[in-house]
Amino acid sequence: MAISSIFVVSDSTDVLTELCAGARSLANRVTAVVFSDEAGANALAGCGADSLFFCPTADAAPEDYASAIADEVKKESSAIVIVYNSIRGRQIAGKIGVYLDTAVLSSINEAEAADDKLFFRRVVYGGTAQRKEYFTKPYGVVTVGSGIFECNATGQTAASISPLTAAPQAGVKLVSRNEKTEGTVNLVAAKRIVDVGRGLAAEEDLAMCRSLAEALGGEVGCSRPVAENNKWMPKSSYLGITGVQVKPELLIALGVSGQVQHIGGINKSKVIVAINKDKAAPIFKNADFGLVGDMYKIVPALIEKL
Amino acid sequence: MKIVTCCKVVPNEEEIKVLPSRELSMEGASYKISQYDLNALESGKQLAAATAGTMTALSIGQTAVLESSKIRKDILSRGADDLSLVIDDGHAFSDSLETAKTIAEALKAIGDYDVVLCGMGSNDLYSQEVGVQVGTLLGLPTLNNVTAITASGDSVLTVERTLENEVETLEVTLPAVLSVSSEINVPAVPSMREIMKAGKKPVNELSITADITPSTEMTEQLAPEQQERRQEIIEGDNEEAVAALISFLKKEGF
Repeated sequence: MAISSIFVVSDSTDVLTELCAGARSLANRVTAVVFSDEAGANALAGCGADSLFFCPTADAAPEDYASAIADEVKKESSAIVIVYNSIRGRQIAGKIGVYLDTAVLSSINEAEAADDKLFFRRVVYGGTAQRKEYFTKPYGVVTVGSGIFECNATGQTAASISPLTAAPQAGVKLVSRNEKTEGTVNLVAAKRIVDVGRGLAAEEDLAMCRSLAEALGGEVGCSRPVAENNKWMPKSSYLGITGVQVKPELLIALGVSGQVQHIGGINKSKVIVAINKDKAAPIFKNADFGLVGDMYKIVPALIEKL
Repeated sequence: MKIVTCCKVVPNEEEIKVLPSRELSMEGASYKISQYDLNALESGKQLAAATAGTMTALSIGQTAVLESSKIRKDILSRGADDLSLVIDDGHAFSDSLETAKTIAEALKAIGDYDVVLCGMGSNDLYSQEVGVQVGTLLGLPTLNNVTAITASGDSVLTVERTLENEVETLEVTLPAVLSVSSEINVPAVPSMREIMKAGKKPVNELSITADITPSTEMTEQLAPEQQERRQEIIEGDNEEAVAALISFLKKEGF
């Protein structure tokens, strides 16, 4: 069971093959849209799409191609547009949606073809429920992050590679672009994660959490207040439904209370260990192993023995 | 500058009940201003103060959600001069375009504005798309994930937009629609005086006549199946407790 056409739009080349593989399992024809010059597009010919459009970004922002992409989609009588769920991607998705007179279903975590339609699942109410929906209009737009589709390279090579034309957004002028100084970690790919919550008393105590992560060969993530209220860690490292959703083999939660929103970001972990002073913390209901105690006593002892 | 800030009223997700059938029950759940819209209201308040301007708060939803005078007062205690409401029981507002079209119509009814602010996403559906779709529907400049806003004259804003690996600085000609990131500020807690004043501020109900059809249909909404966790919990932080944790990790192959 499959629909006739899916467009894959990604401002990251890293996930292109994965998204095309996912699209291939749901549709008979896959068209990819990438943001690069012709040489860059030629290098991506094997991404798994039947045809490829490229959008040069030397003089235009990726967002400026939304109407040109929508025009290509409209050549199909019906289609779904899958957009990579980056910040830019979300803006592109919203614009394409308006040009196609349709909504955007964001951050879907499942797609399934049945009855000539695609059904999507996404998390709503901060992780309290999963909603299953389909588009009642000829076109639909969804955003999807990495790790949702299996990355099976299809071996398909694009039969055509052609450029699109930008329509720069009136009234927006780029003044400057600066690399972000704060580091980014790839928590989605991490096999082991130390998850730091509000039980951490001071910013300098993060060193202890980092040592534990190092001893385990993993990365450090945190709960939303640690990143947003305390600003002790970059926003890109908070785990939760509105943050990063991870699925490591092992997650050790330190001083994490375990709100619904946070659990939604970590519940795909294979094994969850919780350390918290509060016996009643909801995190223990979501843990395979828990210690009710002081992380400041437990963690140093643990690091020593690992 | 005349600012319109969109804010959504949502059920408090910690109070939503999960029935044995895994369906949700909103019964008894209180309503609140969607958390990220507090950042938008705070940005609007700051921008209005910096430009000797005004802020109108705009909310759309069903009667059950918007009739509460407590919620109305809460919105108005956060810097808005007045509140415009679209109360519509004929729509579920469950998809981004349906919501965006209604807001766009409401903005046409309001008529005169320089800046429309939205939060990064709502607590309930978290599409993170409504602001972008409103701006695109109205043919106005629009940006998401804005992390700083400063007025550069009467009709231009300088904004900072933070992406995954870079920060863009952009000049935006007004009118424009901006979605602000939760990083942009820490919303102030309303003072007693602001709360007292809120009850006296005007509330206007707008009527929208546009024909707006949803783009999606929901076939199922269920709580996730409880992941089975072993819940082997030990009380203690002494050597013995740490040894138990080590042996658990070894047993699991770590």
